[in-house]
Amino acid sequence: MERSDHTKVAILGAGRGGRALLDLLHQIPSIEIVGITDRDPAAPGLQRAREIQVPVTTNMPDLISNHGVSLIMDVTGDPEMETYLRAHKPPAADILSGSASRLLWELAQHESKLAAELLQSEKLAGIGSFAAGIAHDMNNPLQLILGLAENLAEERDLTAVHEQARDIIEAAKQTSAICRDLTLYSRRASPHEDVLVSVNGKLDEALKIARYASKFHDIEMIKRYQPGVAVKGNPDELLHVLVNLITNAVHAMEDVGGTLTLETRLLGGQVDVRISDTGCGIAPDKIPEIFEPFFTTKAPGKGTGLGLYNVKTIVNKMHGTIAVDSQIHKGTTFTLTFANAEPAGQGCLS
Amino acid sequence: MDEFKSGFFIGGEACEGRVLVVDDEPDIRKVVKMTLQKAGYEVLEAENGEKAIEVINYGENRLLLDVVICDIRMPKINGAEAVAYFRSNYPRVPLIVLTGFPDADMATSFLRQGVVDYLVKPVEGEKLRSAVARAIEQRELARL
Repeated sequence: MERSDHTKVAILGAGRGGRALLDLLHQIPSIEIVGITDRDPAAPGLQRAREIQVPVTTNMPDLISNHGVSLIMDVTGDPEMETYLRAHKPPAADILSGSASRLLWELAQHESKLAAELLQSEKLAGIGSFAAGIAHDMNNPLQLILGLAENLAEERDLTAVHEQARDIIEAAKQTSAICRDLTLYSRRASPHEDVLVSVNGKLDEALKIARYASKFHDIEMIKRYQPGVAVKGNPDELLHVLVNLITNAVHAMEDVGGTLTLETRLLGGQVDVRISDTGCGIAPDKIPEIFEPFFTTKAPGKGTGLGLYNVKTIVNKMHGTIAVDSQIHKGTTFTLTFANAEPAGQGCLS
Repeated sequence: MDEFKSGFFIGGEACEGRVLVVDDEPDIRKVVKMTLQKAGYEVLEAENGEKAIEVINYGENRLLLDVVICDIRMPKINGAEAVAYFRSNYPRVPLIVLTGFPDADMATSFLRQGVVDYLVKPVEGEKLRSAVARAIEQRELARL
């Protein structure tokens, strides 16, 4: 799209409303945010704007008289503002103010609620496919527990009794770990503010979950982690993204086996997360469609078609990008790129 | 050679029968072995379908094996493929499926293929031993 086709927006007010609008508009490629302003230099929207490289100013008159501006959004809540704007705006600029602005903000809130619902639905639908993996991983330790306990009832050798009791304890812990992993994963993504998330840690966590959803037999794992890389975002949502991409990668190698490579790299202030498989690949004509909702190549009942759509939604929300490189019968690589959120030498949360 | 029956002497010890346990989990093989050894069976192990096929084709095992107990979800050649292989190449060796994932369709399909029993983990020792004894009994009957 030509830059002249962009709607150039100025946001007045960087409180909760301004921040929500900023997040929403920033995701839309045809909208360019020329600046955001607030009287309070500590307003949350201004902080956010700096993070995503949107110009910040405390000089409101300057911002609205910017001749490129085509739309001024007023979320200051100041009743005098609209009158002032009518008098001082460039002739070609439109104003969205008062209740119209509030309506837009409410729509933005509603949209983000729907996106969260969709994410949760897709996650829960996916958990249905975990049944075989969970049953396998729970019934194996249970078989060990049952067999050893039966034996213990008759065992006379004290050393064997001790050893088998220890095995039973280990097996019981293993079983409970499965439930813990799954309940953590299946819960609704907590709506908390973005935090620093360790990418390598989340990749390992995602790997554990993905093992339930897909058969890792005959798959070689390669991990190339750059230590200490972190991104800013919602940890539950990032986990969901990684589980999705890893599960897809393993499904692409189903029955034939192959190599799954997980890689993190730090390149000039950017974090690259790569998930590669050596599986069936995606046909070139299908690539533009894979992020569309309800697009799936899986058999009916096997996929919701919402996996990659949700992945893209979350990555956009994190102000990252996702790229795909695929060759039929050779394999596919998904690359996620985020701003590096880990200032050198600092510890990492989540 | 085909007249060899259970009770045949192996390694100088009398045994109730020779059982091959196919499972990718060493813990499962260990505990199944323990359970069956107590009842006097000699137990061989294989960690996947590929190994199981190797074991049965080794030496005279194809003649000496009385029962194969096979898991389904395994690497390399999985249980379903192994079952198909055993049924078409060694139709006289009884097969018992021991799986962690109860699936009615799968059970029906295995039983239709001639699998003598379909057991779901965790299975009690008594149940496992009687399934093995029953499988051997059926084999003996078929040979008469």
